[in-house]
Order: sequence, then structure tokens, then C-alpha cells
Amino acid sequence: MPRALRSALPSPGSLAAGAYAALLYGFILLPVLVLVLFSFQDSRLPVPPFDGPSLRWYGAVFDDPRVMAALGHSLLVALGASAVSLLLGFLAAYGLARHRLPGARGLQLLLTAPLTVSYLIIAMGLLITFNSLGVPRSLWTVGIGHVVINLPLCFAILYSQMGGHQAQIERAARDLGAAEHQVLLLVTVPLLWPALFACFFLSFTFSWDEFLIAFLTSRFDVTLPVEIWSMLRSGLNPKTNAVGSFVFLISVALVLLLELVVFGRKRR
Amino acid sequence: MSSKVRSESPTGLRPALAAAALAVLALRPGPAAATEELNALVWCDHTDPALIEPFEKAHDVKVNLKEYEGTGTALALVDQSQPGDWDVFVVDGVDVPRVVEAGLLAPLPDDQLPLDDVFPQVRMDDVTVHDGKRYAVMEKFGYNVVGYNKAKVDPADMRDLTTLWGDRYKGRIAVYDYYIPLMDLVALELGMKPDEISEKTLPKIREALFKLKDNAAMVGEVVSSTTALATGEADILLGGGEWAVAVMEADNPDLTWVLPKQGGILWAQSIGVFQSSKKQQLALAFVKYIMSPEGQARLATSSCFWGMPANRKAGAVLSDAQKATLRWDEQPDFLARSYRYFIPDAALDAKMLDVWTEFLQH
Amino acid sequence: MPDAPRTLCGRLRGWGFVLPGLVWTLAFFLLPLAVMALYSLWQRLGMRLVTELSLANYRAFLAKSFFLESLLNSIEVTVTVTLLSILFAYPLAWILAEKVPPRWQRIGLALAVLPFWTSYVVRSYSWLLVLSEGGLLSTALQDLGLVDGPVSLANSRAGTVIGFVHFFVMLLTLTIYANLSQLPRNYRRAAQDLGAGPVRTFLHVILPLTLPGIMVGAFLTFVLCIGDYITPQILGGNRELLLPQTIMLQIARRSDFPMASALAMVLMALVTLVYLACARWLKLERV
Repeated sequence: MPRALRSALPSPGSLAAGAYAALLYGFILLPVLVLVLFSFQDSRLPVPPFDGPSLRWYGAVFDDPRVMAALGHSLLVALGASAVSLLLGFLAAYGLARHRLPGARGLQLLLTAPLTVSYLIIAMGLLITFNSLGVPRSLWTVGIGHVVINLPLCFAILYSQMGGHQAQIERAARDLGAAEHQVLLLVTVPLLWPALFACFFLSFTFSWDEFLIAFLTSRFDVTLPVEIWSMLRSGLNPKTNAVGSFVFLISVALVLLLELVVFGRKRR
Repeated sequence: MSSKVRSESPTGLRPALAAAALAVLALRPGPAAATEELNALVWCDHTDPALIEPFEKAHDVKVNLKEYEGTGTALALVDQSQPGDWDVFVVDGVDVPRVVEAGLLAPLPDDQLPLDDVFPQVRMDDVTVHDGKRYAVMEKFGYNVVGYNKAKVDPADMRDLTTLWGDRYKGRIAVYDYYIPLMDLVALELGMKPDEISEKTLPKIREALFKLKDNAAMVGEVVSSTTALATGEADILLGGGEWAVAVMEADNPDLTWVLPKQGGILWAQSIGVFQSSKKQQLALAFVKYIMSPEGQARLATSSCFWGMPANRKAGAVLSDAQKATLRWDEQPDFLARSYRYFIPDAALDAKMLDVWTEFLQH
Repeated sequence: MPDAPRTLCGRLRGWGFVLPGLVWTLAFFLLPLAVMALYSLWQRLGMRLVTELSLANYRAFLAKSFFLESLLNSIEVTVTVTLLSILFAYPLAWILAEKVPPRWQRIGLALAVLPFWTSYVVRSYSWLLVLSEGGLLSTALQDLGLVDGPVSLANSRAGTVIGFVHFFVMLLTLTIYANLSQLPRNYRRAAQDLGAGPVRTFLHVILPLTLPGIMVGAFLTFVLCIGDYITPQILGGNRELLLPQTIMLQIARRSDFPMASALAMVLMALVTLVYLACARWLKLERV
């Protein structure tokens, strides 16, 4: 078995591969490490030399009602926008995948079109439109914008997952007398569970971190990225590092948790 | 018909009274949540809780703050709002005339404001008073001059603007990204006064700006330019002043600023009440609070940026260390050697902005 | 294949499913674009909005050199970023898919995209702390004796490109890995059995098969990169302007929405062209 032997010994090729991977991981993780390290800085400037560790900036973050409020808003908008995107995306994908509709190709293109347009343009368009219609800017308008960017994503993913195999199971259920809503809830949704989950998760991530739309279409109640942007504007400060690290830790914990949930499901 | 209504009214009186009583009860300020909200469009120095919370507590009100940088942004925000959305406006002194022209501000009662305590050179009634009515009051001021790191450059060099155009500090200069004061400083360097900027002299300014760009490490707004100074990315901040370095002084005592021999550019921000505000009284109370010695001292040393309080009486509230950082005692000299922001008309303003964009792109 | 109810009733029901998403897209995506297109034909003069239709903004775009220059800068930066990101991400994705034992692959992948979950604004800002003159990179290089004086990559195009490449390497590693890991192993075996060396196997079998994945990732990179404002604004130091910065300048400094809309239309036209080019190219590949 020369193949197995070759892979057991570190060949020059795998050494090079290892070195390359190490280098790239270094590049990818560097800003995060710096961010977290200098969140424990003691003095006011998050630049070397490191003079911590100190928790004073974390204290400052938890004491800042604006940051805490923004955290709540972000959560609200991300949950709401993801739920709506998922629902609308799922319905549209189901309609197009299971029903022969005239102009289906055009509909598909239209529904995925926002993916090819920069967030800046979507944000500006919404801002100008809300403004001319007299719609006041709020977390609602931010949420609407986030659904615009997430709906095509959910639709595209779910549409690609609704294969013929599932259609057969659905048909079987229908033949056995299940009504359309029963087919949908008891057959399609459970079959698509991992994809639905992935969609929700992706939408949540995009919405959670989106800046331009949130910046241009919000007013007093802002989401976290916008609040961090204004913190940045009020000066270089390890507090920004502390917020960043805090959010990062929460996100990673969340990802791990979800990963475990999905993993657990897959094993069964 | 009417008699029938009248005859019925006695029986309906009691429930009506009860309802009214309930309404009054409901209107009474609750112990926890503030009943009223005040919407203010401000520069970031007004977002410091140490400044806002005392007012919120005293008036049982929630102050909603939206911060912006640059009057264009503020006008865009106002443009995109419904009338009555905004109550208080903090705006650059120079921009008060065009804001008043646009009908955005409501008149303020002179007798309720501490106008006599305001530094005379900062009152600028020619800007804030129109047709005998006052529309805004100056609240804070400072200088767009030269901020620098005294460990890295020769302080003597910083007293002359022309050295920044020489080779000695090439690549060591950060430029504050605000076209009006920076073009004013360029005018000073060229031996002109800021109000000599015109379509005729603009090409000269443009040329000098391009030369400055060749020497510049970066051009940035408040934070990125002060960050550059803090991280050592640049040693000099043209357009900087107390607003850029005072906050960082405790951590890096080498950061300081100077008014060069050609003079300085005086910035002043003002506060006013929106014409369309539905809470004129509350908004006025906020303005009065900001102008009070206590409010002024808190505003002067706000966590976002420091600046001189317009009200001289704030001196009694500020600590000696704070006054030293603000260079309280040197103000008469500084004020005497400073020029106000040049206020161009709309057409020239557009041209200046184009030149500035070219400068950024250069 | 679309299954079943071909009756009128079924068709109506199908429409019913699509309708909510369709209405949302029409109302909050297509309508705003139309409004913006209209706005781009208006004009801002001083404090006034002139609603007479004219091409003045587009003429200004062609006449004022800084507009065109910012467009060119944007194209240069975006193309550089896209190419560099593919170049860096492909080998990493390949190593993950081929060299790493399957049960470690997930963890390796998770580590490679870990910074995704730092806020995007904060990420740019921490690059600033790394790249600036008093920052970590400069300090480390000096301590190692690799450079004499302090160095800085912040506040320059290099800073912007590094910030972008960082993000898109993560994104592309993900998309290319997904593509690679779906390739059936026996393709490679077959190529080797037919006498192809590793290089030829890669060039003639693996690369063509992963090309669609690369193209999708590259297009995504192009769209996200060319429309981004934060990274150049924080890391570029205004040494030059990219198109989104020029657009934001129109809004922030002059509240000139018509001009900003015109610039946004230009940006959209560019992205559409790239999309069409990619789509056609992809289709040709499939035939």
C-alpha cells in the first residue's frame, strides 16, 4: 500500500501544505487575537505595548446603556428579519418548485436579483423611497431592508434543496389523503429541516453584522454595528475592542451550540 | 336635537368626570419610565451620559440623541424626517445662517439665556441673530490649528504653517477631513485671510492642497485622524487642536497643540430649537441646561471631544487641571489671533467641495 | 421537475405561495431602484431639489475627473482583491479538503471562518491597530530585526486591500471547500489510473470541476467588495477615494441624493455587466 505509506510519512509536499495552512491561519486569526488581547488593555490606547490585563473596558461596556440597547435591537432585528426571510423564501421556493407557473424562470431571476446588487444601493434606494413616502426611519425599516437581502438567499438555498425525491414523498402523502397544509407542515418542512436551519442561521448572521442598510435607514434606535461605528467616531478606545470581543465570544458560543444541535440531529 | 343632548348631559357628566380624572392620573409621570422624549440632532460630544443624565433626571425626560459629523449629514437627516421629528439642533456656528434661511430654527428668548457671560468674540450675533431675532446660541468653541506629538517633532517648527509644506515632515502629517477650516488654514499659509477665498483664489488653494497631500500620511475625520496621531501613524495633525488631543492627554502627555504664527481658525458650535418641534418649552429647557455653568463644564470635557465652554462662568465649575488642558488662561491671546470659519455662498461652496474631493482623490 | 396540480386551482395556489415574497421584492427592492433611477435624473441645487428631468448628474460624472477616477480605483481594488483572495483561498480549501483527516475538517473550516463572527466594523478597526505604525505588525517586525524603522500599511490602498482580502479569503475558502468536498474521489483515481500526474490531474480534472464554485465565489466577492464603504473608509486613510466613498460624500457633505443616485446607478450598471459576463461564461462552460 504505497498510498497509505506516503500519507503516513510527512512528505515535503505535506510539510509545505502545513506551513501554508499555518501562515494563512495566522493571517486569518491575527486581527481577532489583537482585538481580544487589547480589549484587556489598561490604558486608554489599544496599541502596543500591552499594559493589561484589566477588565475596566468590559465594565465600561456593560455600564453603557446605549451599547446594551443596541445589542437588544440587533437581536430583535436579526431574529425578526431572519424569520420573515425564511418564511417568504420557503413559500416562494415551494410555490416555484412544486407548481408549474408561467414565467417561472423570470420569477426566479427576480427573487434572486437582490443578491447581485450592492448593499449600498439597496440601502440608498430604501432610504430615498421611505423618505418620499413619508415613512419614518426606525428598526422596522432596518428589518425590511434586511429581509430584502436575506430573502433571495433563503429562496435560492431552499429552492435548490427541493429535489424530486422529496416531491415523490410529498405526492405519496397527498395520495394518502393529506391536505396541502398537512403535506407542507408534516412532510416538506421536516425533510428540509437542515436547509431551513442553515437559511435561518445565515440570515441571522448577515443581519446581525450588516452596517450600511442599518446605518442609512435607522434613527435613534440603532443596531450594534452602527453603535460601534459611532463609538469609533468618538475616539480610539479599548472599549471598542471590549464590545467587539464580547460580541465575538457570544457569537462563537452560539455557533458552537447550534453546531452541536445540528450535529446531534445528523447523527440520529 | 341640541336640547336632547343637553338634557342627557347631566347623566353623562359623572362618567365623563371619572374618565377625565383617570386621564389626568395616567398623564402623571410614572415613577420608572420617563413620560416625555426629546429628540436632539447633535455632535458626538453631546452623547456623553455625564452630560445628558442630569437633565433627564431633573426633567423626567428621555433625550434621544442622533449624532452626526458635518452639517451636510445633519441636513440630509432633517430632509429625510417628518416635520416635528426633531426638537434640538446642535450645529456648526458657520452653518447657522443657511439653516435659518431654510426655516429650520425657532427664535430663542434672549432674556432666558446667559448671553452676557459668553466670551464676546464667540457670541457671533451677526451669525445667530437675523432680523432682530436670535435663532441659536454659541455653546462651545476651540481651534483648528496644529496638533502634534512633541516627542517626535520640533515644537518650534509647528509655530510656522509653511514647514508643513516643506520636506522635513513629509509623510508625517495627518490632515483633518473638513474642507472649510482646512481651506481656511491653507489660505493662512498662503498669506491670505480665510474670507479672501473666492473663485479667483481657489486655484491657488487647490495647488497648495495638492502639495499638502503629497506630504500627508492620511486624511481623516475626527476619529481616524486622532487615531493616526495616537498610534504614531502621523506626528502632526493639521486642523487639530484641543478637540483632538485633550482626551488623549492623560495617556500620552506628548500630544499637544499650538496656534501657529499665521493665526488659527476658530470653530464654534451652536445650539438651537427646531421650528417644527412640538416641545418648544422642553427644548428650550435643554438649551438653557447646556448653557448653564454646570452643563457647560460637562460639555467642555465630554468624553468624545473637549472644547472651550462658551459661557465664561463654567470656569468656576471646571477643575484647575481641566482648565490647564483647555488652556483657559491663554484664551484672550488665542481669540485675538484667530479667524472665524469662512462662510461661502452655495455656488462657491459647491466648488470648494469639488476641490476638496479632488484633493482626497489626488 | 415541477410536480402536479396543473389545474387552474393548483396554479393559483402556486401563485399564492410565491406572492408574498414577490410583493416584498417588488415593493422594497424593485420600487426603490426605480425611485432611485428617477432621482438620478433630478438635481440638487443649494438647498433645493429640482425635479426637472435631466442628465446633468451623468454629465457631471463624465466631466469631473474625480468621479471617474474613483470608479477606476474601485475596479482596480476589487479586481486585485478578487484575484488575491482566490489565489490565497484555493490552496487552503484544497489542503482542508484533501490533506486533513475528515473528522478534523469541520474544525479546520470553522477556525478558518472564525473571524466572520467578529463584527465587520470591528474587524476593519482591528486591522487598523495591526497595520498602523505603532501597531502590532510594525512592533513585531522591528523586534525581529526584519526592518530598521517603523513600517505602516494602514492608511493606504495596501491597507484597504489587506482588510478586504482577509474577509474574502474566508468567504472563498468556504465556497471552494464546499465545491471540492463534493467531488467524487474516484474522478481523481480514474485520472491517475489513466497515467495523469498530480499536476495534470489538478489542471485537467479538479480545476475545471471547481471552476463553477470559484466563479460563484468570485462574483460574490466582486459584488460585496465594490459596494463596500467601511473597509476603505477605515483603512484607506482617504489617500484615494473608492466609488462608495464618493457616493457617501455626496450624501454626507451635500445631501445631494440625486448625484449619489446617479453614481449608484453607474455602480449597478457595472455589477450587472460583470454578472452578465460571468453568467454567459458559466453557461458556456456547462455546454
